[in-house]
Amino acid sequence: MKHGGVTKFSIQNLLGPIIVLILLTHFVGGASTSLQLVTQMALCLFVMVLALQVFVGNSGVLSFGHGAFALIGSYVSAILTAPVNIKDNALSMNQLWEPLVSPQVNIYVALVISAAVSGLIAAITGIFLMRLNGLAAGIATFALLGVAYNVFFNNKKIGPGSQALPGVPLIDNNWILLLLAVLSLILVYFINISRIGRTLRATREDAMAAPALGISIFKVRLIAFIISGAVAGLSGGMYSHVAGTFQVQDYYLEFTFITLSMLIVGGSASIWGALVGTFLITAVGQVLLMMEQDLPVFGIQVQIPLGSRAVIIALTFVAVLLWRSGGITNGKEFRIPKLKKIS
Amino acid sequence: MVQSILDAISLGGLYSLAALGLGLVFGVMRLVNFAHAELITIAAYTLVLTAQFPLAVSLLFTVIVTVFVALLMEFSVYRRLRGVNPAIMLIASFGLSTVLQRVYELMFGALPRSAVVAPFLRGDFKVAGLSITISSIITIVLTIVILLAMGYLIEKTSLGLQLRAASADFKTARLLGVRSNRLISAAFGLSGVLAACVALILVIQNPQISPYYGLNITILSLVGIVIGGIASLRGAALGGFIVGVVLSSLNTLLGNGRVYAYSWLFILVLVILLVRPGGLLSKGSELERV
Amino acid sequence: MALLEVTNLVAGYGKVEVISDVSFTLEPGKSIGIVGPNGVGKSTLLQAIAGGIAPKGGTITFDGKNIAGKKPEDIVRLGLSLVPEGRQIFSGLTVRENLSLGLTGRRNKKGANEAILKVRELFPVLLTHENHQAGMLSGGQQQQLAIARALISEPKVLLLDEPSLGLAPTVITDVFDRLKEIIEMGTAVVIVEQRANLVTSFAEKTIVIRDGKVQSTLTSADAANSESLQRSYFGAGE
Repeated sequence: MKHGGVTKFSIQNLLGPIIVLILLTHFVGGASTSLQLVTQMALCLFVMVLALQVFVGNSGVLSFGHGAFALIGSYVSAILTAPVNIKDNALSMNQLWEPLVSPQVNIYVALVISAAVSGLIAAITGIFLMRLNGLAAGIATFALLGVAYNVFFNNKKIGPGSQALPGVPLIDNNWILLLLAVLSLILVYFINISRIGRTLRATREDAMAAPALGISIFKVRLIAFIISGAVAGLSGGMYSHVAGTFQVQDYYLEFTFITLSMLIVGGSASIWGALVGTFLITAVGQVLLMMEQDLPVFGIQVQIPLGSRAVIIALTFVAVLLWRSGGITNGKEFRIPKLKKIS
Repeated sequence: MVQSILDAISLGGLYSLAALGLGLVFGVMRLVNFAHAELITIAAYTLVLTAQFPLAVSLLFTVIVTVFVALLMEFSVYRRLRGVNPAIMLIASFGLSTVLQRVYELMFGALPRSAVVAPFLRGDFKVAGLSITISSIITIVLTIVILLAMGYLIEKTSLGLQLRAASADFKTARLLGVRSNRLISAAFGLSGVLAACVALILVIQNPQISPYYGLNITILSLVGIVIGGIASLRGAALGGFIVGVVLSSLNTLLGNGRVYAYSWLFILVLVILLVRPGGLLSKGSELERV
Repeated sequence: MALLEVTNLVAGYGKVEVISDVSFTLEPGKSIGIVGPNGVGKSTLLQAIAGGIAPKGGTITFDGKNIAGKKPEDIVRLGLSLVPEGRQIFSGLTVRENLSLGLTGRRNKKGANEAILKVRELFPVLLTHENHQAGMLSGGQQQQLAIARALISEPKVLLLDEPSLGLAPTVITDVFDRLKEIIEMGTAVVIVEQRANLVTSFAEKTIVIRDGKVQSTLTSADAANSESLQRSYFGAGE
């Protein structure tokens, strides 16, 4: 994670990933119903990986706590939009706290609220967490996830507990999800090239030198953490409207590991890395899933034993780190190549 | 009451053994080896699958298998990642942990494997009218013996001296002739032995082995070494002990609220880290870059 | 035959090349000084010789073997020890433990006791603090400990990186007197210093490094002439 990152605005750097996203959504997302769902989930995960990129990629501080923001975002959006009868009846034998049963909000308003709530919680917890460095920060952020998971898993007054909350209305439109992803991408891009992004990257290189330069590590980290928490909340919200359910277990260790590996495999120092990591791991996972189910992949039928998919994904991940510890993109942004004039 | 105190101490001791295994490896290569969980798991599987043999044979076999897996991790993955950003190593160890979990699932199945290990250590006995489980006493005795042995190894032997020196400053230790590959392999080997000890104690209490068997204790011990002070092995052992004692006490004290024991534990962890970011045994406020 | 021969050495960190072309030779039992302004790569040079970093080019021949790119723990076993910049003693360990660590780098385990005795004789102050934490020692004592620790492996060549750093003048004299004794006992010494006058007074020759290259070589006769020292140190025009 020691690679530079981009500091100056360049329309090519910004448009490059956006165009790739549009192409992926159009060609893959429109190919079949099953691929449409995969694409929609990948777009949600991409927003999550962007959230990690803006904080982890810039500050170099590993966060295991972002699953908590996704969890909260997902929960807020689901509880605000799920039909009253479902909340009233289906949930854990009517244990849900009364004021949570009646609210009915438009999906997009709910998404904004979920980002805001996650951002707010990031702000409150960040005031404490961002004072820490290194491994202590990593464990502290994990403690945040631990508390969120533990509370939501066991408390049936605020949510479904260990069960799933069904009936969350769907956003069954690739382009709306794409739009949300692109908006998040633009936000993260501008943070990365802003003074906050540059300062954070400077503190990553040398945590000792920063105070000497009059830089408050705490302040810039906190700002990045809040934005990152809000984007993670949005991603959780999006996910609940793609999956149609909210379930606490979706946002624990496996989620944390998969999203962090997407970031690191792609290369944590750039948005392009986040994109490559998310879609590559999703694609590999999908291909292997089809192999496990003995379905043809691009016309070729290869069968692999059931359950070996996860082994292969994790092995690929470890292999990428061994091959290139800066990730596949090694910190570079993707640029649309300039058209050469023909002379 | 007496039983609760004994349970707290024995859980604390167990966690300090796990924390020590993690701390040894962290010391020499700044690696938080998340896959330590899978060392405990494989040790537990081996114990259960060899339960038909005499305990000594089964134990010996378990130690050999666990040390082998520990060294395999070192040779195949971690050796190639040396000197890389610790965050990357940590993430790689996550990956390795997942790989092993799935491999165990393919090898042993997703359903728990079980067998009765050391049946003579089950049950309870009465002292002055109080009923006390044998396993809690055995755990405490075993832990004390293992901790004393580790203490001797680390404080009094040449290997221990090299481990301490390398933990403080690997570069200088190498300049003095400390062989990096051998020392790191030794640290992994020892962490494997410790994982086998932890597994033995765990299996006596709960012989239902699934692919995720070692996960919980490893996560909590990780938390422990950070609050204890990751820079020293004493800190690691102390931190692990605290986490175990606190968790066990919370489970007793909270009654019906014990489902939230983890939340209270994590909140306590946050408070400790905010007061002492470098851990309880740290000196001053060093900025550690992990 | 030279004991240590460095030829066209290139070294640096990452993509940065700090040392671009350095050559020198050292005969058994002799001493060589390396001087130059701050940041010219004197420490990098020593680290490359001792194996702390892998050289990017050139050869380092020690005792007839090419040691460039070997691991530091193997190089110390061949008989080449580095006392790193800033002493780098293990402050949490006792003085005795620090010295014992020096034993790890010995080629043969026989004669270890004699080596310890010899070092204790050379640095009697360490004896009185044997069971104290090394971090409690004064700066000068820590420097003596660092040198003593390196000597326990009985090296043929001792590399010292700025042994005067952070020490009071009287203490510096003390440390350098010890170094003279060490040379008299037959150990060849390479000593890097920022303060040129400290080195030129006792090293047989001194090389001046500038811009990653050897700018000039001075003999002790040149060194006596302070003007020529000044000129080569700061460059002719300045």
